[in-house]
Amino acid sequence: MADTWEPRIVAFVCNWCTYAGADLAGTSRRTYAPNVRIVRLPCSGRIDPRFILRALEMGADGVLVSGCHPGDCHYTKGNYYARRRYIVFNSLLDFLGIEPDRVRFAWVSAAEGGKWAELVDLTVQAVRALGPLKLFSQEASLPPELEPIEPQKPQSTAPDPRQELALRQTAREMLASGEVELVVGYGRTSFGKVVPFFASSPEQAEELVWNDMCVHNLTTYLTGERPAATGKVAVVVKGCDARAAVGLIQEGQLDRERVKLIGMECHGVQSECGQVADKCTACEVTTPHLCDVLIASDGSVWKTNEAASTPTRFPASDALRSEVQRIASLPREQRLAFWRSELSRCVRCYACRAVCPLCYCQTCAADRTRPQYVTPGCDWRGAFSWGVTRALHVAGRCVGCGECVRACPQGIRLDILQAFLADVVARELGYVAGTNPEALPPLSTFRPDDRQDFIL
Amino acid sequence: MSEKLLLLNDLHSFADALIKSGFSVVAPSKGPGPSRFRRIGSASELLMPDVNTEIPPKEHLFPPTEPLLFFRFHGTDVELLDPPLPAEETVFLGLRPCDAAGIALLDAVFLADPKDSFYEARRSKTTLVSVACTKVGENCFCSAVGLSPHSRTGSDVLLIPVEGGFLTEAVTEKGRTLLEKHSGLFQPTDASTPKPPEVPRSAAPEGLDKDFAELFAAPYWQDAAKRCLGCGACASVCPTCHCFDIVDDSGARGGVRLRCWDACGLELFTRHASGHNPRPNQPARFRQRLLHKFAYSRKSLGRPLCVGCGRCVDTCPVGMDIYEVAVLMSQGV
Repeated sequence: MADTWEPRIVAFVCNWCTYAGADLAGTSRRTYAPNVRIVRLPCSGRIDPRFILRALEMGADGVLVSGCHPGDCHYTKGNYYARRRYIVFNSLLDFLGIEPDRVRFAWVSAAEGGKWAELVDLTVQAVRALGPLKLFSQEASLPPELEPIEPQKPQSTAPDPRQELALRQTAREMLASGEVELVVGYGRTSFGKVVPFFASSPEQAEELVWNDMCVHNLTTYLTGERPAATGKVAVVVKGCDARAAVGLIQEGQLDRERVKLIGMECHGVQSECGQVADKCTACEVTTPHLCDVLIASDGSVWKTNEAASTPTRFPASDALRSEVQRIASLPREQRLAFWRSELSRCVRCYACRAVCPLCYCQTCAADRTRPQYVTPGCDWRGAFSWGVTRALHVAGRCVGCGECVRACPQGIRLDILQAFLADVVARELGYVAGTNPEALPPLSTFRPDDRQDFIL
Repeated sequence: MSEKLLLLNDLHSFADALIKSGFSVVAPSKGPGPSRFRRIGSASELLMPDVNTEIPPKEHLFPPTEPLLFFRFHGTDVELLDPPLPAEETVFLGLRPCDAAGIALLDAVFLADPKDSFYEARRSKTTLVSVACTKVGENCFCSAVGLSPHSRTGSDVLLIPVEGGFLTEAVTEKGRTLLEKHSGLFQPTDASTPKPPEVPRSAAPEGLDKDFAELFAAPYWQDAAKRCLGCGACASVCPTCHCFDIVDDSGARGGVRLRCWDACGLELFTRHASGHNPRPNQPARFRQRLLHKFAYSRKSLGRPLCVGCGRCVDTCPVGMDIYEVAVLMSQGV
């Protein structure tokens, strides 16, 4: 088998430059390695990282992605968007333990038949040196035995009861005046558990609860078919939740005319048994930086929140940052083994998607079968397909509210992936998710001088 | 009762003996992520939590993804290939009584005519050894669904922890055979053998045995299920949820037909190709889950499709509590 193995390379190329370049290589009688299968797309901007993943999932040993040089795009700027995406994608592949040399990016113009031929030869050579892609091989290396880094989890403290009273009063007034029809806040079940609660009358406003058990990010109820997706509503937000609201505004999913944000000054909520949630230990937004009404700790109600400062970084705790560091510094094979062990536990229940305030797509790529963008099943191939696809779709958008990790019944460390990606986006694209409602989402824009040293 | 009882000194030597005699042993063990049953290579990997594991043993009989058939295209011909089925005799060791009762419910579904051959292939080679509970978990309510921390339902062997070991009872013929094979590990009981401890009671009252079907039209569901996110986490940790979807994963040369877990709480579960969804909103889907567990299954299986393990309550990100809702239902809310 080993001596007959030939690298299988899939090339995704833009119609206007690289495809014409490949054509030129042919008409110029340039010979090059026959290992490549070309898939023609209108623009490199259309080459979704999902296509690349799917090629790898379906047995390609390497992938070549190519489009017009910067400035040459037939559609003016498709290749600039693509370039940003690949900065993130490339880093993620490496973090997952996949050799970056297997997925290569290049600008090839219609005049560069020679460059195309050389590029294919070089790629085949590089992949040949790496050997067959063993990403989905039956035998997996054992994951590294890592003792979890125990986060510092101080005990949470209950807020001043005056804050709860002020919240009820504010909600009551909003409902009584008709300013809103529904207030999404926290309430108690008949067993006393603190859960999301919907008050639709001034009387129900009295049942609202505010304490250190209010961990849920309620902005997830604002989209799709959820109870607060239509009509005039108010939603109770902590600083971390307000970051998600910022994301929704940026993406045109939250109408500020329709939705009022009741900001709560918050000094930490519990994730479990009295201990402060991990994200709270890295919190910069005890006072929400975006809200219409602010209810301070002492119960005072403010129509402005000028005191609040905009967050400056992804809310990753020290423990989470150390985890990212530790995984990143493992040898490649161990890194892959770690992610294989984590992601393979996925049973595709999609709880991560359901709780995520920014996963609002009407039809998720994972639910499509024609075409089947995401490999089905939750064996390692399927789990990889879904896990990596979702990580990429929320890259640069994830605000670190931690709901996906809290919801995952399999305890998969999605937070490590997202903290890593948030770092890449901050470093390379200069944006921190959930900070500026006016800004374009980092992957929906570009700078002409974005990094491209990895593009051949 | 006492003459059937045997005394086992410790679980670890039993596990090792089983492995030595060629059984594949699946037991709660150490490993990444939530506590669960894994195939263990030696008794040193065994790790029994105080209460039930976070993930039930269901996945070892009814895997989240399972190939039903492989296909290969040869021109216009299609070649079908059967997936390999497990051949190993397996012992599930260290189940809690709710786990065994959960498997009994899966049996009632998958082994009813027509039998599910994939499930049967695994199940017929599996012996269930349970350990009675000495502690009640935070969200356990087995006594409310006709079970108890010492119930025998589904188990082939029940081990009741006592001082210095386990009182061992063969519940079925399969269990008796297993114990006879390893008789060296067991001693007969006598007057000096410690008596089984008092059965701990879960906080739950008994009697969720009403016919809830008339609750279908109750306005209550709109309220009760408003916060449900439809995430499906509950079904994924449920020891009795057994719905699945069948999908093909294929390429140019062939592929595989997979059966994957599905859940009635998910929007896609009932959506028709036309886009119409007969369960149009989350309350309707949540109601389906609850009524299937507590009403419809009484008609189809004669018992509730819930073993009171409390896992869905532990795992729900928005605090949906199946027991709370069942209590409210029983009060005719």
